[in-house]
Amino acid sequence: MVDSREGAGGGSAGHEHWLMQIDAELDGELSLVERAALAKHLVTCGHCAGARASQLEVRVALARAAGNPHAFAVPRPAIRAGTLMLWVVVALGAGLLAGWMANQRWGGPGGGGSLEETRGTIVVQ
Amino acid sequence: MAPSLFSSIILTLATLQSPGTRLTYRVRVLEHAAVAPRLLASGAVSGAVDTDMRLTLRTDTTEVEAVFQVTPTGDTVNLGAEFFTRRQVGRSRRGLPLWEEDTYRRVVRLGWSDTARIYPFGAPPPPSASSRGNGKDVRGMWVELILERLFTGGEGRPAEEFSLVDTTRVFRLETVVRPRRARVVLNLVRGDTVSAPRGFDLVPDEPARIVQLVLGGRATTLVVALARPDPPRNERERALALDAEVVCLRVSPPDASEPLGQVCGRLNNVARQLPLPTGDTLAATFAWPGPR
Repeated sequence: MVDSREGAGGGSAGHEHWLMQIDAELDGELSLVERAALAKHLVTCGHCAGARASQLEVRVALARAAGNPHAFAVPRPAIRAGTLMLWVVVALGAGLLAGWMANQRWGGPGGGGSLEETRGTIVVQ
Repeated sequence: MAPSLFSSIILTLATLQSPGTRLTYRVRVLEHAAVAPRLLASGAVSGAVDTDMRLTLRTDTTEVEAVFQVTPTGDTVNLGAEFFTRRQVGRSRRGLPLWEEDTYRRVVRLGWSDTARIYPFGAPPPPSASSRGNGKDVRGMWVELILERLFTGGEGRPAEEFSLVDTTRVFRLETVVRPRRARVVLNLVRGDTVSAPRGFDLVPDEPARIVQLVLGGRATTLVVALARPDPPRNERERALALDAEVVCLRVSPPDASEPLGQVCGRLNNVARQLPLPTGDTLAATFAWPGPR
């Protein structure tokens, strides 16, 4: 019995497996045995070799966009606690302000025109 | 400046004190219609110069009550109006109506026989909107008020006349008169026995008077004085002068020690009772005094 994933043209399911292996390899998550199996497959599969080259190009582009074109791995975005707290406070403040303004404008019964508009007036003719 | 002010005060006092001046509030309630304003109600309230007029207009969602009073100043008159308005502003979560209440005062000066237009539900809508009014917009409704004075031989009783043309609306016109004096009839009651009635014309805030009532051969002496009621406890009663014709009778023993109590009531011939320490009950009836 032959594992279809290891065949040269192992079908779409086989390609998907190898594409995931390529992704994991570039992330440095494969064992030596798996890397050897992947290298062996890439020799025989032009499609997967092309996909690996594309993946690498994407990572290079991401590294350049992050300002570090010579990085060994794609830099992950870092969120600092202070920045996160600032944005949380800003969002809460904006929400409170918007809620207060909406309440002033439409909130509670009796809204609409000003009180003076609804009051009686006397005009001498 | 000073002489004109002085003459104005003199004229005011002269107008107020002249016994033969009769004041009439002539009222018409109108609303916008396609061709000409439509008359909804009309009426008049007249009486002495200190007579006030209470006007009530009510729709499904708004109630306007106002008390109008005048202060003559020579050839002109200051018209003051104390408004009490209730507007339905929605419903509670349990489906009950929610109302907001508003009290305010308006004062204008006008000449005798001038016409004052009162827009009780707020400023009139713009002409373009009013011209296509459907007749149900309450802001298209107004009250025309004309103040008239007539010099008469004697002071007549207050009078009201009112004609409701559109019976689907609720309007009311009432005279508000603060009694200058009141007819008080006193009885002493013990079980089924009642003393002979004693009647007096009393003036509010005048010195007390000593009264002797005889019941079953025993005489009871009391000191009675007529007074105005305490200030109203809520805003509506104050604004609309709902207690205008209420008087209070203060009853004390002749030795002027602790007062025995106070009986308050309208001038409507209803007997009001005050238990006395002797076991008897004092029944006081208030009524308008007879003409002089």
